[in-house]
Amino acid sequence: MAGPELLLDSSIRLWVVLPIVFITFFVGVLRHYVTQLIHNEKKVDLQQVSDSQVLLRSRILRENGKYLPKQSFAMRKHYFNNPETGFFKKVKRKVIPKNPMTDTSMLTDMMKGNLTNVLPMILIGGWINWAFSGFVTTKVPFPLTLRFKPMLQRGIELISLDASWVSSASWYFLNVFGLRSMYTLILGQDNAADQSRIMQDQMTGAAMAMPPDPNKAFKSEWEALEIVEHKWALENVEEELMCQDLNFRGLFS
Amino acid sequence: MSSISELYDVCWEEMRDKLRKWREENYRNSEQIVDVGEELINEHASKLGDDVWIIYEQVMIAALDCSRDDLAWSCLQELKRQFPDSHRVKRLAGMRLEALERYEDANKLYDSILQDDPTNTVTRKRKISILQAQGKSSEAIRELNEYLEQFVGDQEAWHELSELYINEHDYAKAAFCLEELMMTNPHNHLYCEQYAEVKYTQGGLENLELARKYFAQALKLNNRNMRALFGLYMSASHIAASPKVSAKVKKDNVKYAAWATSQISRAYQVRGTQECTLGVFPVRLEDSCHTLLMEPPLL
Repeated sequence: MAGPELLLDSSIRLWVVLPIVFITFFVGVLRHYVTQLIHNEKKVDLQQVSDSQVLLRSRILRENGKYLPKQSFAMRKHYFNNPETGFFKKVKRKVIPKNPMTDTSMLTDMMKGNLTNVLPMILIGGWINWAFSGFVTTKVPFPLTLRFKPMLQRGIELISLDASWVSSASWYFLNVFGLRSMYTLILGQDNAADQSRIMQDQMTGAAMAMPPDPNKAFKSEWEALEIVEHKWALENVEEELMCQDLNFRGLFS
Repeated sequence: MSSISELYDVCWEEMRDKLRKWREENYRNSEQIVDVGEELINEHASKLGDDVWIIYEQVMIAALDCSRDDLAWSCLQELKRQFPDSHRVKRLAGMRLEALERYEDANKLYDSILQDDPTNTVTRKRKISILQAQGKSSEAIRELNEYLEQFVGDQEAWHELSELYINEHDYAKAAFCLEELMMTNPHNHLYCEQYAEVKYTQGGLENLELARKYFAQALKLNNRNMRALFGLYMSASHIAASPKVSAKVKKDNVKYAAWATSQISRAYQVRGTQECTLGVFPVRLEDSCHTLLMEPPLL
């Protein structure tokens, strides 16, 4: 419905839009520091570190193996993929599936995560909904269908109002996700105020440094290494080198 | 004795920045670090803020290099006071014990750190360097091999192992270590060149061919690597001089050697030396190259 454009009171901008931005931002920064305070050091497992480095080496072999002589490449590939004694075939790691309910450390981590992230969001969202209700705050630049009206226009009972006009609660949620890049700028990468990343982590399951099943990682790496052929990059290096004079600029500076 | 800031007319910020540059680029100019760092700590410690701790660490290691145990001890005390339970500080205490040649005590200290934190790679490497300092190179090699089995990605360790093997004249294994390094750093011309030198030293027609190829690769990566240029000339001319090669291979290698010679003479011309003639060159090159590279090849 493209009705006539509404003209909002400019004090809405001054007293509603900007304060919500500031509140969201500072609450995010506060969350980051609180998370850092109650965060406990994750104990690194020697086995995991070792396995991840082995996988890295295998990947590098696949990518840069062409710089090695044929025999060296074959030797390393054999080390990894030999049907009887190859590393990826022989080594099977015991995997203990970590049940979130019974594993105490994960339980406390989850609780802390919930406390620092979800709780403030609910509290502040509710407070804003109560404090800044009954009027339209801003207009989203793209048209929305009527389905969004009850969600985005809490407290405003106008049937004829365009769904693009939203209330302050939706502006708050917009800010929570939008200020992510601001946090990166100010708090540096990998900050705890990054709400959406945390939600992503929760969705993909237990997020650990290594995939919980190293056996699967080994198997996929084995397959990838099997199909790699050695094409020596140094086959014609002399010809390539000698087609022009060497550049000695800066040699005797 | 006037202080650094008077001698060079620098203020404390510049001294601090200089120390940071040396720290980030891994310089080992310990005497300079000690001079600059000591003054910085004594005069301007309060102005440095939180930087002071890492400067203490840097100065302490430099002081151990220069046998300044007094300075090392005072830095260590400050660090211990600030970070009482830190593994990093414990490792520094161990390094001081190493410098005083109290290897048993240092070993005990490192073992206690490792009990607490088995993944602490720096401490394990210190233990290996104790073995090296005591001259037990075969044990050091064994320990380093075990370390590398667990931490395959540690390039510093691979390089150290290759040096240990070269000292033991076990060139095949040294070549393996250098291959690891080449694999992870394909664009580093120095690894290519070192690998080629090891292959050249091993001798034998195949190895000489490999050596020639990798010298060429090193040159391709960095046109100004004179050692690689000389190495290319040497390996090509030795292959050409070998009685077992076919005529085509001989012709190719003579061509490569001639090209290398022309490039070398060009380099000398760029340098501005007047007395280079192509006739004199091959003899001169043989002399200088045999001292440059490790051993005469076994053909």
